[in-house]
Amino acid sequence: MTTGDCLLAVGLLSLALAGLVWCATGPVGERVVVSDGQKVLYTAPLDTFIEVDLEGPLGLTRLRIDEQGARIIGSPCPLKVCMGMGPARRDGDILACLPNQILVEVVGARAEDAPYDLLSR
Amino acid sequence: MTCSAADQAELARVRRNIFLALFAALAVALHTLEVLLPTPVPWFRLGLANVLTLVALFLYGGRAAWTVSLVRVGLGSLLLGRIFSPGFWLALAGVIVATGMMIAAWHWGRRWLGPVGVSMLGAAGHAVGQLTVAWALLVRHAGIWQIFPVFLLVAVITGILTGWVAAVLLEHLQQYEPFRKIEQET
Repeated sequence: MTTGDCLLAVGLLSLALAGLVWCATGPVGERVVVSDGQKVLYTAPLDTFIEVDLEGPLGLTRLRIDEQGARIIGSPCPLKVCMGMGPARRDGDILACLPNQILVEVVGARAEDAPYDLLSR
Repeated sequence: MTCSAADQAELARVRRNIFLALFAALAVALHTLEVLLPTPVPWFRLGLANVLTLVALFLYGGRAAWTVSLVRVGLGSLLLGRIFSPGFWLALAGVIVATGMMIAAWHWGRRWLGPVGVSMLGAAGHAVGQLTVAWALLVRHAGIWQIFPVFLLVAVITGILTGWVAAVLLEHLQQYEPFRKIEQET
Protein backbone atom coordinates (compact mmCIF):
# COMPACT_ATOMS: atom_id res chain seq x y z
CA MET A 1 0.00 0.00 0.00
CA THR A 2 1.41 3.40 -0.94
CA THR A 3 1.08 6.55 1.19
CA GLY A 4 -1.55 7.78 -1.25
CA ASP A 5 -3.55 4.59 -0.73
CA CYS A 6 -3.44 5.06 3.05
CA LEU A 7 -4.48 8.73 2.86
CA LEU A 8 -7.33 7.84 0.50
CA ALA A 9 -8.50 5.05 2.83
CA VAL A 10 -8.48 7.41 5.82
CA GLY A 11 -10.32 10.09 3.82
CA LEU A 12 -13.03 7.78 2.53
CA LEU A 13 -13.49 6.11 5.92
CA SER A 14 -13.90 9.45 7.69
CA LEU A 15 -16.41 10.52 5.02
CA ALA A 16 -18.42 7.31 5.56
CA LEU A 17 -18.31 7.62 9.36
CA ALA A 18 -19.31 11.30 9.24
CA GLY A 19 -22.27 10.31 7.04
CA LEU A 20 -23.26 7.55 9.45
CA VAL A 21 -23.15 9.89 12.45
CA TRP A 22 -25.14 12.50 10.54
CA CYS A 23 -27.82 9.93 9.66
CA ALA A 24 -27.98 8.51 13.20
CA THR A 25 -28.78 11.83 14.87
CA GLY A 26 -32.16 13.44 14.54
CA PRO A 27 -35.60 13.34 16.10
CA VAL A 28 -37.51 10.06 16.34
CA GLY A 29 -40.31 9.88 13.76
CA GLU A 30 -44.01 9.37 14.36
CA ARG A 31 -45.42 7.41 11.46
CA VAL A 32 -44.38 4.75 9.00
CA VAL A 33 -45.46 5.34 5.41
CA VAL A 34 -45.00 2.62 2.81
CA SER A 35 -45.19 3.50 -0.86
CA ASP A 36 -44.07 2.17 -4.22
CA GLY A 37 -42.40 5.49 -4.97
CA GLN A 38 -45.62 6.88 -6.44
CA LYS A 39 -48.62 5.99 -4.30
CA VAL A 40 -49.00 5.10 -0.64
CA LEU A 41 -49.59 1.40 0.01
CA TYR A 42 -49.75 1.36 3.81
CA THR A 43 -49.30 3.63 6.78
CA ALA A 44 -49.18 3.06 10.56
CA PRO A 45 -47.98 4.88 13.69
CA LEU A 46 -44.40 4.00 14.70
CA ASP A 47 -45.43 3.08 18.27
CA THR A 48 -47.54 0.09 17.21
CA PHE A 49 -46.40 -3.54 17.25
CA ILE A 50 -47.36 -5.10 13.97
CA GLU A 51 -46.17 -7.34 11.15
CA VAL A 52 -47.60 -6.78 7.70
CA ASP A 53 -47.06 -8.18 4.19
CA LEU A 54 -46.64 -5.62 1.42
CA GLU A 55 -47.16 -6.61 -2.17
CA GLY A 56 -44.66 -5.61 -4.85
CA PRO A 57 -43.94 -6.83 -8.38
CA LEU A 58 -41.75 -9.71 -7.11
CA GLY A 59 -44.00 -10.84 -4.27
CA LEU A 60 -44.51 -10.11 -0.58
CA THR A 61 -42.15 -7.97 1.50
CA ARG A 62 -42.69 -8.46 5.24
CA LEU A 63 -42.52 -5.32 7.40
CA ARG A 64 -42.29 -5.44 11.19
CA ILE A 65 -42.84 -2.46 13.46
CA ASP A 66 -41.74 -2.88 17.09
CA GLU A 67 -39.96 -0.94 19.85
CA GLN A 68 -36.78 -0.75 17.70
CA GLY A 69 -38.60 0.88 14.80
CA ALA A 70 -39.68 -0.34 11.38
CA ARG A 71 -37.72 -3.18 9.81
CA ILE A 72 -38.03 -5.42 6.78
CA ILE A 73 -37.81 -9.03 7.93
CA GLY A 74 -38.63 -10.86 4.72
CA SER A 75 -38.25 -10.05 1.05
CA PRO A 76 -38.39 -11.86 -2.29
CA CYS A 77 -35.56 -9.74 -3.81
CA PRO A 78 -32.25 -11.43 -4.65
CA LEU A 79 -29.78 -9.27 -2.70
CA LYS A 80 -31.84 -8.45 0.44
CA VAL A 81 -30.29 -5.01 0.83
CA CYS A 82 -33.53 -3.89 2.50
CA MET A 83 -33.23 -6.52 5.23
CA GLY A 84 -29.61 -5.57 5.83
CA MET A 85 -30.59 -1.93 6.40
CA GLY A 86 -31.81 -2.73 9.92
CA PRO A 87 -34.51 -0.79 11.76
CA ALA A 88 -35.57 2.76 10.83
CA ARG A 89 -37.00 5.02 13.53
CA ARG A 90 -35.76 8.56 12.99
CA ASP A 91 -37.62 11.21 11.06
CA GLY A 92 -36.57 10.90 7.42
CA ASP A 93 -35.14 7.35 7.71
CA ILE A 94 -36.04 5.11 4.82
CA LEU A 95 -35.84 1.43 3.98
CA ALA A 96 -35.97 0.68 0.30
CA CYS A 97 -36.43 -2.62 -1.45
CA LEU A 98 -35.67 -1.57 -4.99
CA PRO A 99 -36.31 -4.82 -6.88
CA ASN A 100 -39.71 -5.18 -5.21
CA GLN A 101 -40.39 -1.43 -5.40
CA ILE A 102 -41.23 -0.98 -1.74
CA LEU A 103 -40.23 2.24 0.00
CA VAL A 104 -40.71 2.39 3.77
CA GLU A 105 -40.34 5.84 5.21
CA VAL A 106 -40.45 7.21 8.74
CA VAL A 107 -41.99 10.66 8.91
CA GLY A 108 -42.23 13.16 11.75
CA ALA A 109 -45.22 14.78 13.38
CA ARG A 110 -45.29 17.80 11.10
CA ALA A 111 -45.40 15.71 7.97
CA GLU A 112 -48.73 14.33 9.08
CA ASP A 113 -50.63 17.34 7.74
CA ALA A 114 -49.47 16.55 4.23
CA PRO A 115 -47.85 13.16 4.57
CA TYR A 116 -47.55 12.33 0.88
CA ASP A 117 -46.04 15.55 -0.39
CA LEU A 118 -42.55 14.08 -0.42
CA LEU A 119 -43.62 11.27 -2.67
CA SER A 120 -45.11 13.21 -5.55
CA ARG A 121 -42.70 14.01 -8.33
CA MET B 1 12.95 -19.57 -31.06
CA THR B 2 13.62 -17.16 -33.93
CA CYS B 3 11.04 -14.49 -34.68
CA SER B 4 11.18 -11.30 -36.75
CA ALA B 5 10.23 -7.89 -35.23
CA ALA B 6 6.77 -8.02 -36.84
CA ASP B 7 6.18 -11.48 -35.45
CA GLN B 8 7.09 -10.24 -31.99
CA ALA B 9 4.45 -7.51 -32.14
CA GLU B 10 1.89 -9.98 -33.45
CA LEU B 11 2.86 -12.44 -30.74
CA ALA B 12 2.42 -9.79 -28.04
CA ARG B 13 -1.01 -8.84 -29.44
CA VAL B 14 -2.26 -12.43 -29.59
CA ARG B 15 -0.88 -13.15 -26.16
CA ARG B 16 -2.62 -10.06 -24.77
CA ASN B 17 -5.95 -11.09 -26.29
CA ILE B 18 -5.66 -14.60 -24.92
CA PHE B 19 -4.85 -13.36 -21.44
CA LEU B 20 -7.73 -10.87 -21.59
CA ALA B 21 -10.13 -13.66 -22.54
CA LEU B 22 -8.81 -15.72 -19.64
CA PHE B 23 -9.19 -12.77 -17.23
CA ALA B 24 -12.77 -12.21 -18.39
CA ALA B 25 -13.61 -15.91 -18.04
CA LEU B 26 -12.09 -15.99 -14.54
CA ALA B 27 -14.01 -12.85 -13.60
CA VAL B 28 -17.30 -14.45 -14.70
CA ALA B 29 -16.45 -17.59 -12.72
CA LEU B 30 -15.53 -15.62 -9.57
CA HIS B 31 -18.65 -13.47 -9.87
CA THR B 32 -20.91 -16.52 -10.16
CA LEU B 33 -19.14 -18.28 -7.30
CA GLU B 34 -19.50 -15.22 -5.10
CA VAL B 35 -23.24 -14.97 -5.69
CA LEU B 36 -23.59 -18.60 -4.61
CA LEU B 37 -21.53 -18.15 -1.42
CA PRO B 38 -23.33 -17.30 1.83
CA THR B 39 -22.45 -13.84 3.22
CA PRO B 40 -22.75 -12.23 6.68
CA VAL B 41 -25.23 -9.60 5.43
CA PRO B 42 -27.39 -10.76 2.53
CA TRP B 43 -26.39 -7.95 0.13
CA PHE B 44 -22.70 -7.98 1.03
CA ARG B 45 -20.37 -8.94 -1.83
CA LEU B 46 -16.59 -8.83 -1.84
CA GLY B 47 -16.39 -8.05 -5.55
CA LEU B 48 -13.58 -10.53 -6.17
CA ALA B 49 -14.26 -10.35 -9.92
CA ASN B 50 -12.93 -6.80 -9.75
CA VAL B 51 -9.47 -8.24 -9.05
CA LEU B 52 -9.34 -9.31 -12.70
CA THR B 53 -10.44 -5.86 -13.93
CA LEU B 54 -7.68 -4.30 -11.82
CA VAL B 55 -5.07 -6.71 -13.13
CA ALA B 56 -6.17 -6.05 -16.73
CA LEU B 57 -6.02 -2.30 -16.06
CA PHE B 58 -2.52 -2.35 -14.58
CA LEU B 59 -1.15 -4.75 -17.21
CA TYR B 60 -2.90 -3.66 -20.40
CA GLY B 61 -4.59 -0.29 -19.76
CA GLY B 62 -8.08 1.22 -19.77
CA ARG B 63 -9.57 -0.56 -22.78
CA ALA B 64 -8.70 -3.94 -21.37
CA ALA B 65 -10.34 -3.01 -18.06
CA TRP B 66 -13.57 -2.06 -19.90
CA THR B 67 -13.50 -5.38 -21.78
CA VAL B 68 -13.11 -7.49 -18.65
CA SER B 69 -15.70 -5.62 -16.58
CA LEU B 70 -18.40 -5.37 -19.28
CA VAL B 71 -17.97 -8.99 -20.38
CA ARG B 72 -18.18 -9.99 -16.72
CA VAL B 73 -21.49 -8.17 -16.14
CA GLY B 74 -23.02 -9.34 -19.43
CA LEU B 75 -22.04 -12.99 -19.18
CA GLY B 76 -22.42 -13.15 -15.40
CA SER B 77 -26.01 -11.86 -15.56
CA LEU B 78 -26.79 -14.19 -18.45
CA LEU B 79 -25.51 -17.19 -16.47
CA LEU B 80 -27.42 -16.22 -13.35
CA GLY B 81 -30.60 -15.51 -15.32
CA ARG B 82 -30.67 -11.85 -14.29
CA ILE B 83 -30.05 -10.13 -17.58
CA PHE B 84 -32.25 -7.02 -18.14
CA SER B 85 -33.82 -7.36 -14.67
CA PRO B 86 -33.70 -4.28 -12.37
CA GLY B 87 -30.73 -5.88 -10.62
CA PHE B 88 -28.89 -6.11 -13.93
CA TRP B 89 -29.21 -2.36 -14.57
CA LEU B 90 -27.98 -1.64 -11.05
CA ALA B 91 -25.00 -3.93 -11.58
CA LEU B 92 -24.25 -2.43 -14.99
CA ALA B 93 -24.40 1.14 -13.67
CA GLY B 94 -22.18 0.18 -10.74
CA VAL B 95 -19.63 -1.43 -13.01
CA ILE B 96 -19.60 1.45 -15.52
CA VAL B 97 -18.96 4.08 -12.84
CA ALA B 98 -16.50 1.83 -11.01
CA THR B 99 -14.48 1.07 -14.15
CA GLY B 100 -14.53 4.73 -15.18
CA MET B 101 -13.29 5.78 -11.74
CA MET B 102 -10.57 3.13 -11.68
CA ILE B 103 -9.30 4.09 -15.13
CA ALA B 104 -9.30 7.80 -14.22
CA ALA B 105 -7.48 7.07 -10.93
CA TRP B 106 -4.96 4.85 -12.72
CA HIS B 107 -4.44 7.35 -15.53
CA TRP B 108 -3.91 10.46 -13.43
CA GLY B 109 -2.98 9.13 -10.01
CA ARG B 110 -0.65 6.25 -10.81
CA ARG B 111 2.22 8.05 -9.15
CA TRP B 112 0.48 8.19 -5.77
CA LEU B 113 -1.96 5.31 -5.88
CA GLY B 114 -1.33 1.58 -6.08
CA PRO B 115 -3.90 -1.13 -6.90
CA VAL B 116 -5.38 -0.74 -3.39
CA GLY B 117 -6.18 2.96 -3.85
CA VAL B 118 -7.53 2.44 -7.37
CA SER B 119 -9.65 -0.46 -6.11
CA MET B 120 -11.08 1.64 -3.24
CA LEU B 121 -12.11 4.40 -5.64
CA GLY B 122 -13.65 1.81 -7.94
CA ALA B 123 -15.66 0.30 -5.08
CA ALA B 124 -16.85 3.77 -4.01
CA GLY B 125 -17.78 4.48 -7.65
CA HIS B 126 -19.71 1.21 -7.75
CA ALA B 127 -21.85 2.38 -4.81
CA VAL B 128 -22.41 5.80 -6.42
CA GLY B 129 -23.42 4.23 -9.75
CA GLN B 130 -25.84 1.78 -8.17
CA LEU B 131 -27.51 4.38 -5.98
CA THR B 132 -27.80 6.86 -8.85
CA VAL B 133 -29.59 4.35 -11.08
CA ALA B 134 -31.73 3.18 -8.17
CA TRP B 135 -32.70 6.79 -7.54
CA ALA B 136 -33.29 7.60 -11.22
CA LEU B 137 -35.14 4.46 -12.30
CA LEU B 138 -36.73 2.93 -9.24
CA VAL B 139 -37.21 5.28 -6.32
CA ARG B 140 -37.17 8.98 -7.03
CA HIS B 141 -36.62 9.92 -3.45
CA ALA B 142 -33.61 11.75 -2.04
CA GLY B 143 -33.86 9.66 1.15
CA ILE B 144 -32.28 6.76 -0.71
CA TRP B 145 -28.91 8.49 -0.30
CA GLN B 146 -29.14 7.83 3.44
CA ILE B 147 -27.80 4.37 2.81
CA PHE B 148 -24.75 5.79 1.04
CA PRO B 149 -22.48 6.03 4.13
CA VAL B 150 -23.07 2.32 4.83
CA PHE B 151 -22.34 1.45 1.19
CA LEU B 152 -19.22 3.64 1.25
CA LEU B 153 -17.93 2.01 4.45
CA VAL B 154 -18.40 -1.47 2.97
CA ALA B 155 -16.89 -0.28 -0.34
CA VAL B 156 -13.69 0.96 1.33
CA ILE B 157 -13.21 -2.31 3.23
CA THR B 158 -13.93 -4.56 0.23
CA GLY B 159 -11.90 -2.22 -1.99
CA ILE B 160 -8.84 -2.63 0.23
CA LEU B 161 -9.22 -6.42 0.24
CA THR B 162 -9.69 -6.83 -3.52
CA GLY B 163 -6.97 -4.24 -4.21
CA TRP B 164 -4.57 -6.14 -1.99
CA VAL B 165 -5.35 -9.42 -3.80
CA ALA B 166 -4.82 -7.66 -7.15
CA ALA B 167 -1.49 -6.21 -5.94
CA VAL B 168 -0.26 -9.66 -4.88
CA LEU B 169 -1.40 -11.18 -8.18
CA LEU B 170 0.24 -8.39 -10.21
CA GLU B 171 3.51 -8.77 -8.33
CA HIS B 172 3.44 -12.49 -9.00
CA LEU B 173 2.52 -12.12 -12.69
CA GLN B 174 5.20 -9.52 -13.35
CA GLN B 175 7.89 -12.02 -12.46
CA TYR B 176 7.14 -13.62 -15.82
CA GLU B 177 8.61 -12.36 -19.05
CA PRO B 178 5.39 -11.79 -21.10
CA PHE B 179 3.84 -9.50 -18.48
CA ARG B 180 7.04 -7.55 -17.85
CA LYS B 181 7.43 -6.69 -21.52
CA ILE B 182 3.87 -5.43 -21.92
CA GLU B 183 4.24 -3.22 -18.89
CA GLN B 184 7.34 -1.58 -20.39
CA GLU B 185 5.85 -1.07 -23.85
CA THR B 186 2.72 0.81 -22.79
